[in-house]
Amino acid sequence: MSTGDSPSILKLSSDLDIHVRFANPPPDLRAAIMRTQSRLFSDSFQPLVLGRGSADTDQLKNAPALVSLELMLVSGRPARSIVEETNVAIEAKSEAYSLSLRDGNNSAILSANSTLGLFRGLATFEQLWYDYQGIKYTLNGDMKIDDEPAFPYRGFSFDTARNFYPVSDILRTLDAMSWVKLSVLYWHIIDSQSFPLEVKAFPELSEKGAYSANEIYTEDDVQLIVQYANERGIDVVMELDSPGHTTAIGAAHPEHIACASKSPWSKYASEPPAGQLRIASPTTLAFAKTFFASVASNLPGKMMSSGGDEVNLLCWEEDDETQADLAQRNITISDALNQFVETVQGVIAAHDKTPFIKSDMVLTHNVPVLNDTVVVVWQTSEDAAAVAERQLRFIHQPSNYFYLDCGAGDWLGNNIAGNSWCDPFKTWQRAYSFNPYANLTLEQRPLVLGGQMPLWSEQSSSENLDSIIWPRLAAAAEVFWTGATLPDGTSRLGKNATSGTRALARLNELRYRLVDRGVKAIALQPKWCVLRPGECDLDS
Amino acid sequence: MRFAIALLVFVPVGGVFGLWPLPRSLQTGTTALKLAPDFDIHMNVLHAPSDLSDAVARTKSHLKNDKLGRVVVGRGSSDSSVIQHAKSLASLHVSLTKGATVRSITEEARLAIETRSEGYSLTIPSDGSAATLTANSTLGLYRGLTTFEQLWYQWSGNLYTIEAPVTITDAPAYPWRGFMLDTSRNFFSVSDIKRTLDAMTMVKMSQFHWHVSDSQSFPLEVPGYTELASKGAYDPSMIYSPSDVKDIVDYAGARGIDVVVEIDTPGHTSIISAAHPEHIACPIASPWSDFAAEPPSGQLRLASASTTNFTAGLLSAVAKMFPSTIMSTGGDEVNANCYEQDAETQADLKATGRTLEQALDVFTQHTHGAIIAEGKTPAVWEEMVLDHNITLSNETIVLVWISSANAAAVAEKNFRLVHGPSDYFYLDCGAGEWIGKDVGNSWCDPFKTWQKAYTFDPQANISESQAHLVLGGEQLLWAEQSGPENLDPIVWPRAATSAEVFWSGPGGDSNEALPRLHDIAFRMRQRGIQAIQLQPMWCALRPGLCNIDS
Repeated sequence: MSTGDSPSILKLSSDLDIHVRFANPPPDLRAAIMRTQSRLFSDSFQPLVLGRGSADTDQLKNAPALVSLELMLVSGRPARSIVEETNVAIEAKSEAYSLSLRDGNNSAILSANSTLGLFRGLATFEQLWYDYQGIKYTLNGDMKIDDEPAFPYRGFSFDTARNFYPVSDILRTLDAMSWVKLSVLYWHIIDSQSFPLEVKAFPELSEKGAYSANEIYTEDDVQLIVQYANERGIDVVMELDSPGHTTAIGAAHPEHIACASKSPWSKYASEPPAGQLRIASPTTLAFAKTFFASVASNLPGKMMSSGGDEVNLLCWEEDDETQADLAQRNITISDALNQFVETVQGVIAAHDKTPFIKSDMVLTHNVPVLNDTVVVVWQTSEDAAAVAERQLRFIHQPSNYFYLDCGAGDWLGNNIAGNSWCDPFKTWQRAYSFNPYANLTLEQRPLVLGGQMPLWSEQSSSENLDSIIWPRLAAAAEVFWTGATLPDGTSRLGKNATSGTRALARLNELRYRLVDRGVKAIALQPKWCVLRPGECDLDS
Repeated sequence: MRFAIALLVFVPVGGVFGLWPLPRSLQTGTTALKLAPDFDIHMNVLHAPSDLSDAVARTKSHLKNDKLGRVVVGRGSSDSSVIQHAKSLASLHVSLTKGATVRSITEEARLAIETRSEGYSLTIPSDGSAATLTANSTLGLYRGLTTFEQLWYQWSGNLYTIEAPVTITDAPAYPWRGFMLDTSRNFFSVSDIKRTLDAMTMVKMSQFHWHVSDSQSFPLEVPGYTELASKGAYDPSMIYSPSDVKDIVDYAGARGIDVVVEIDTPGHTSIISAAHPEHIACPIASPWSDFAAEPPSGQLRLASASTTNFTAGLLSAVAKMFPSTIMSTGGDEVNANCYEQDAETQADLKATGRTLEQALDVFTQHTHGAIIAEGKTPAVWEEMVLDHNITLSNETIVLVWISSANAAAVAEKNFRLVHGPSDYFYLDCGAGEWIGKDVGNSWCDPFKTWQKAYTFDPQANISESQAHLVLGGEQLLWAEQSGPENLDPIVWPRAATSAEVFWSGPGGDSNEALPRLHDIAFRMRQRGIQAIQLQPMWCALRPGLCNIDS
């Protein structure tokens, strides 16, 4: 990025034309352009300085106006839809773009190798403008940007099972995600507490396992969400967490669940209610196969997860049916677990999707997995190196950096003094300090696909969704897009990284932009500080 | 006497699903009873004040619109047959006890805090004969209506309870059951405040402690001192005008809530320098940490006669805007170094021959004198009595905030006190540091859970002879990291916890409380308050199954 030597003011012409300079632009790109066009003029975000935009009044009078933004594909590249570009294999995504604000007279040029790259460039373009009394302007009119992500996988993991979220919440979240160039919604859609996913092969699962008839994602809802995400450059990785975290399946199919709601839950599960798939049962295995196939066949993405965290062995040890099945088949529980994972990974692969799995399956249970498996490292950031040792690709989702739900106290009843298991709260500063290559050798670095912050919803729901994820999630979005180095060549981290004049200033700006667009991102500081970057630092 | 009975015995739990705070005396049965389609509330109060009539109308509207299903598996579907056969309640008769003076709810809520009458009796027979609500005051009737609203659930068009008959005799253990909101660090709109008052009144809170100004912004338009807001508010759209204040105060009063405004002095006043630099020492001095607890630094020049007069005039003008008998002048975190480095203050001290402490004493007596003259009882933060040797009226109310351990010391000095301890009641704790370059945790880490707040004992370490000094307590939201975006989720339902501690008295069992807290949170959400989920809904629908040992 370069911004010219001195501030150069440039305003947007009120009839700015966003012009596509190649043939047959796909409809989803045209729709994205219309959204950009609309937001450029509906955003009312003023610069975060004392007096807001009023300081720029004089300069604005004679400022040149940008009349067009020209979108170009690098010659010869096919104009595929954003949706198609989003659904290519994760390592093959083309998200790079170049943006030059005053390339030629009063035209800006945005070019990329793909429509997805153009879409990322539009997200950048939208962030450049301030409002003052209806005039949209930037102080960096000479800006030139060459940009591409450090990592292709930049995600948000979302639990819609502990508490339910309406479709509109998910769509709003996808919009906000796209503004910070996140690329994946990792949808932890079901769990032990509820089963809100309508599955064509087994409609009874959601009929009996959802919290209510109103708290179900129908097939149409899923299609809508996936399409909406894909049009915004966001891939959807659905996680069908198994064989643990599946009690809610028992509401419709008690025959498939061992230790269902067994007491005391703490012996059989990491949280109530207990219950796991009967992995040793051939009937249950057949059920899992059909279940995964039914869900996978409706998803266009190239990735899908079978979860696999927090399997409890005692649950199966005390389950008569499981013990009988093991005895009859003369196999051990770990044979059964291996076979279960092999089965569901087989279904995922057969649907042309890359399987994801939670790190404890690999590290604790030593379950063999397909070579192209992507491991979700969650327990601690320390586990990344161990996964890399096994030559498996992985994404970072460490609870000690990225869990958005930590620090709100224990949610279990009768535990008065308890703090959350992953206390304290993971601040944006903590997330921002994450080094994706920590403890990895140079040779292992290509195994890192990226990372994601998760929201586990035991204590969250529609009421606090925006405020618990925004703007913190944006900190991780920058970790994995920007990587280790800022545009000026300096390290993204370092002792002053979280100063009010550096990342904090930009994060404050993003927060105000989110609020301006109706996303209820929390204040990171008193507004007094926000308007005076650097004056609320520790040493200022 | 009222305070001596604080350690009450809780009723055995057979249900009382939705009641929060739990009544002091409660008997319930196991009979289903539904509201008749033409159910009505009959007010047998001569010359009923309009705010009471309005309250009755709101109760009827809540009954109609809450549409809350029981918080159990099936949400009431299992009750359908008992509902079908249940008797119908046609009316609730509301009356004052004989000889009671008829005043408006608003007037009753603004009486001197220890003289308020909030008790009521509510009887709901199971045979369909009329229910009765009686009280000594309209405020008591209002509290009783609030209880009545919490008894009913909806299933397929019926409003019903499965716990008739219900007999309640109720009165609060403590009169100060509050919530404090800081509207200076970040601004909250009038509608945010009104929605908060709606939630507060659902749990019978009595005090809205409004920390309206601080060093970061001055959002209050004060007649005669309008320059403070016009130069010190974040934005012209972020100012509470006198009519906004009246709107808020009236809205609160009609809901049984007294509004205690706080103009924090002499510290926490940096922003006054935007309009009056002559009154502020060390404004935005660097490094701020030498001069203030947080940026920006800046304190009123307490040794200056002109600043003292200005402050007294300001406080007196603010006092006129608020009908409460109580007003807070703050007084926390006064920084001595700020004054030591301020040449004007040093010159003033020298000229008057006073020490800084003596000047603080003179300043406080002057400013308190001004609000006492307006009929207010002053409230101050604890440092004013624990750290400084100044003369205060015996009537002064002391707000304990630094630590719950400091309440006893305040009581020792024979001051009435309100509990707002950071180690139990600070709603903002645990969200990390907001200071740039600092990657630490919040100073009052960890997050104060509802369970922690629920264990609070208002009389801990306070002798029996001083017990009467405890007026109650409040949970507080300091807004460095809050704004309209997270107001509801960071406050509710947690702030309901202290509402019960100070209404029902301490010693409650959080295990028993959790289903009721779920219930009130569900009801809040039905009314548009974005209260967070305390647990997965699976747990909320199955009381007891998500305990640590279940």
